[in-house]
Amino acid sequence: MSDIKTKFINDPEQITPELLEGYVLAYPDQVKLGGENIVVRANPKSEDKVAIVTLGGSGHEPALSGFVGEGMLDCSVVGDIFAAPGAQRLFQALQLMKREAGILLVVLNHSGDVMSANMACQLAERVGIKVKQVLTHDDISAGIDADVNDRRGLAGCVPLYKILGAASEEGKTLDELVEIAERYNKNVATLAVAMRSCTHPQNGGTITDLPQGIMEIGMGQHGEGGGGQKPLVSADATAAEMVDLLCQQLKPKAGDKMMLIINGVGATTHMELNIIFRKAYKELEARGLQVVVSRIQEILTVQEQAGFQMIMAILDEDHIDYLKNKRADAPYWTTIGK
Amino acid sequence: MKQLTIENFKAMLDTALKNIKEREDEFSKLDAVIGDGDHGQAIVTAMSAIVATAKKGTEFKAMLNDMGFDVMLQVSGSTSTLLGAFFLGMSDHASGTELDAAGVKAMFAGGLANVQKQTKAQKGDKTMMDALIPAVEAIQACPSDDIKEILEAGAKAALAGAASTVEMKANFGRARNYGERSIGYADSGATSWSCMFESFAQAL
Repeated sequence: MSDIKTKFINDPEQITPELLEGYVLAYPDQVKLGGENIVVRANPKSEDKVAIVTLGGSGHEPALSGFVGEGMLDCSVVGDIFAAPGAQRLFQALQLMKREAGILLVVLNHSGDVMSANMACQLAERVGIKVKQVLTHDDISAGIDADVNDRRGLAGCVPLYKILGAASEEGKTLDELVEIAERYNKNVATLAVAMRSCTHPQNGGTITDLPQGIMEIGMGQHGEGGGGQKPLVSADATAAEMVDLLCQQLKPKAGDKMMLIINGVGATTHMELNIIFRKAYKELEARGLQVVVSRIQEILTVQEQAGFQMIMAILDEDHIDYLKNKRADAPYWTTIGK
Repeated sequence: MKQLTIENFKAMLDTALKNIKEREDEFSKLDAVIGDGDHGQAIVTAMSAIVATAKKGTEFKAMLNDMGFDVMLQVSGSTSTLLGAFFLGMSDHASGTELDAAGVKAMFAGGLANVQKQTKAQKGDKTMMDALIPAVEAIQACPSDDIKEILEAGAKAALAGAASTVEMKANFGRARNYGERSIGYADSGATSWSCMFESFAQAL
């Protein structure tokens, strides 16, 4: 029994294995465990196609393992709460996914994840595993046009899993997939807002204090500070400000085809998320932009933090096709396909 | 000393581990100025794994490769990543059971080249590179064919490089956020790596 009085958990040290155990028991047609804290597809993709693998800490459910499945991820390597999985487990997963077509590793830009990935890839190459990395860095809270190394990877990785999963099913090569991913990376931006922090599930500590009635635009997905704190404003004013900042980064031109996703991070209701989406959509429409891919969902959460991430991208035709028309069947993302 | 045997090399590593253990608290205190204060523990853990693997080695290439793999797979964190990269790079440019002066130079150059693939830090950024880059440069530039003299040149340059970080402002990674606060203290990584090079020369 833990000392944490706000969560239904058992032993804090067992949170990650227990949640993954429950997850694969619930979705046996789509996912299974491939090793300790390694989630793989229940029906593996054929070996002549590139495997799409990602890594990241737990505590963000359904991310990232919720997107393992046909047409999306082949494997998710899970760390402990908010922590990178480490090179050893990732190397084990790369050995598991080894194939001639190669492995594309999608890494969210967080120092621990980047380091685990660099180490594991360095070792993998030495034992003849063909692997390339793409780094996602969609967060714009470090400032418009900030150096990519200073931009964290937020929930913008999830649509990328869909794009890459579809493209690899189609038989695209490793190099082609890297190109598709980098083109998406250039044209995606995410901004997070929080108005109530969360507790760390293992130590019960509050991650960043936000007084009541205060919001922080730019907060990271572990509650680390980003932009400035300021008094809470209405849904419309918040959405409009965020769209404005995201458009300053992406600089879309009238007629561009856009993706707009509102990701709830835990305590903000779908009621609120819908209201936010409505205003963001209208703001884009007013700029002559056409929203062609949209979603309101909790795809990457931060425990009981209140707030959301707004993910926006200018899409190329192939990205649209992969997102909308190709089949995906992961527990937390399905697309019927055409 | 014209030839470096594998046993000489193991003695270099043993000396490095012994000296690093003795200075563990010092490295952690330096790290606490601009980091999380665990560098002493991190480098002791990493070097312990490296030395344990090296003990089993019978040939340079395989031994250095195993050292790199084991430290990376057993110990997480940036210290073990960089040390692992260093030994893996050395493995690419060493073979057999004895190295002459040219072999030693090539081995250290390979180590640096592989570390440079892992970090973008340059000389002057107040990182371990401020010890490693001058050390390997001095090893390359040393005209002697005596291996002890070559490693002494490396040690001297590494120590000078580490000392030069006192006046530097952190310009890399998370430490960069501390800016001016980092001035006046040597970088913990540069200090521990210079200790390693100093130990290498001392062991011969």
